Amino acid sequence: MQTSPLKTLIAAVSLMAATHAHAEPQMATGQAMAWQCAPCHGVNGQEFSEAMPPLAGMPVKQFMDAMLAYREGTRPAVIMDRVARGFTDEELNAMAQWFAKQPIKPWEQTTLQESLSAQQAGAQAAGEKQ
Amino acid sequence: MSQFAQSLSNGKLGRRELIKRFGISAVAASGLFGASKNAYAKSAPHVVVLGGGVGGSTFAKYLRFADSDVKITIIEQYPEYITCLRSNDVIVGYHTLDELTFNLDTVQSKYQVNVIIDKAIGADFDKKTVTTAKGQVIAYDKLVVSPGIDFKFEDYEGHSKELAETKIFHGYKAGPQTLALREQLLSVPKGGTAIIAPPQNPFRCPPGPYERASFFAEYFQKHNPTAKVIVLDPKDRFTKDGPFKKAWERLYGYQTDNSLIEWVSGSDGGRVLSVDGKNNSVETMAGTFKADMINLIPNQRAGKLAQILGLTDASGWCPIDRFTFESSLQKEVYVLGDSTIADAMPKSGYSANSQAKVCAQAVADTLRDRPLTKSVYANVCYSLAGDNYGVSIAAIYEVRDGLIQPKGKSEGVSPITDKPAQPILEAVYQKNWQREFVKDVFS
Ligand SMILES: Cc1cc2nc3c(=O)[nH]c(=O)nc-3n(C[C@H](O)[C@H](O)[C@H](O)COP(=O)(O)OP(=O)(O)OC[C@H]3O[C@@H](n4cnc5c(N)ncnc54)[C@H](O)[C@@H]3O)c2cc1C
Ligand code: HEC
Repeated sequence: MQTSPLKTLIAAVSLMAATHAHAEPQMATGQAMAWQCAPCHGVNGQEFSEAMPPLAGMPVKQFMDAMLAYREGTRPAVIMDRVARGFTDEELNAMAQWFAKQPIKPWEQTTLQESLSAQQAGAQAAGEKQ
Repeated sequence: MSQFAQSLSNGKLGRRELIKRFGISAVAASGLFGASKNAYAKSAPHVVVLGGGVGGSTFAKYLRFADSDVKITIIEQYPEYITCLRSNDVIVGYHTLDELTFNLDTVQSKYQVNVIIDKAIGADFDKKTVTTAKGQVIAYDKLVVSPGIDFKFEDYEGHSKELAETKIFHGYKAGPQTLALREQLLSVPKGGTAIIAPPQNPFRCPPGPYERASFFAEYFQKHNPTAKVIVLDPKDRFTKDGPFKKAWERLYGYQTDNSLIEWVSGSDGGRVLSVDGKNNSVETMAGTFKADMINLIPNQRAGKLAQILGLTDASGWCPIDRFTFESSLQKEVYVLGDSTIADAMPKSGYSANSQAKVCAQAVADTLRDRPLTKSVYANVCYSLAGDNYGVSIAAIYEVRDGLIQPKGKSEGVSPITDKPAQPILEAVYQKNWQREFVKDVFS
């Protein structure tokens, strides 16, 4: 669910007050969130031979349609409805941009160099630093 | 080939120019450090990881993703790592230990991580060095500790480390313990009894004892149908108890006279007070239980190494900064996984893996003086209530009000439905998950 910018601001300010050691940023990076999906979908979404579908190279719209449908409960799911309800539209979009840039081939056949370039391209597409 | 890669291979751009355009990590990753075996520069900061299990190995790999110009060393006491994940399957013969055995070779070669097989025995936080059993002294800029758990045998009268290694096995660190339990299970006589005694919260793998009880029941159903599993629990609730009990009803006649599983809750006196190794019996509030095998899983605390290093508080666990997993007790030292106080996150492999990734990014950002980004964690615990029957619990997490808490409406266990496909699919996904997970950790 999208939170209003004002609510986010208030939340951020009160969090800062509570923890003061950290200036709490607004959002995790698409990359950092996407890494969290690896135990099911493969490293960087690059698993192509299992029941859990690959995410690497998925077009942004296809990713967003799927995730929004899981979140709203309009697409049948065993686990993804629960996962999708953890993310805002903005967060989903950042992950969508990042996954779209990952190579469409198994992780085992991807070199570190190749992946670092792809991960950087993903971060740039998601409009993040690096 | 991307434009970036092309310029690199043409050697058109100088190193300084590259750093300006792409940042230090891109340059280091490009192999511009010539024939040197390592991507990182000599002057690169040194991050030392103690424990190359789930948390430590994941951390090293993802730190390499987050920063290619950093020196990473793992100090792990054993040359091979046997996953606890699916070790319950080994007890009943669905898996072999060999299939669960991994090493750090790929982490070393693919991610340029130094691996030292040695036991860490101490640290000097002022000098920023670690000492090992073989007498090595290793300097670090950041230290990461992921040592797993330790058992509190002293919570049970008559119990000891020795007894736990000879007769009353826990099977909560995979290896010889797992095989010993298998031998005991196979030796339960016709109509015999197996006791499983789960620990108090918090403990490693909250669904572990109940998955194990399910497997024992399934094993008895096939090979020894008049035998029985008794779960002696100090608690009144356990994780996924709804879906687990429903599965036990469907599969093992739970709560009928012929049930293969009996669960004695804390309120009903299930807590084990003492153990008698000679007579194979335990004393509980509800009386004495004698059995053909006793699988007592003791109460737990942070791994020994965390205790030795002074990273634990009065609770026996390690307090951490929720955003980075930096120890609250020691600057520049990070703790991951089972040893930590991570609030709503269970002590699971998935949690350790998730925390390691967030920590890797935070360590990389801190080393480069970059602002931290928001911390988002995840956990999914799959269990089998039978070889073909899966149940799960899942949540995405964030830091709210100073605690790690479920984010959005993500938290939930498998719904109980009449659809026969649901638990079968979850069992398929469970097995899929395990294969994928160990790849994420070790390759
Ligand atoms: C029966 C069972 C089933 C499980 N199933 C699942 C599951 O399905 N899914 C799931 O997510 N989790 C599961 N788990 C939980 C999972 O195994 C742990 O949560 C996970 O291993 C924690 O990771 P860690 O890094 O904290 O510790 P570990 O993975 O235990 O790693 C600790 C490492 O540190 C090393 N070490 C310790 N001290 C030293 C020292 N002094 N010097 C050098 N090295 C040292 C150890 O040798 C070890 O390799 C299960 C656990 C059990 C017992
Ligand atoms: C516990 C395992 C698990 C985790 C964690 C997980 N997924 Fe999934 N994912 C699945 C399964 C299983 C499916 C198939 C649908 C279902 O059964 O729920 C799926 C389907 C999908 C699909 C649809 C793919 C398609 O081809 O239509 C997308 C998109 C997706 N997941 C994205 C994600 C993202 C993003 C994350 C991390 C934030 C994530 N998943 C985390 C297991 C998981």
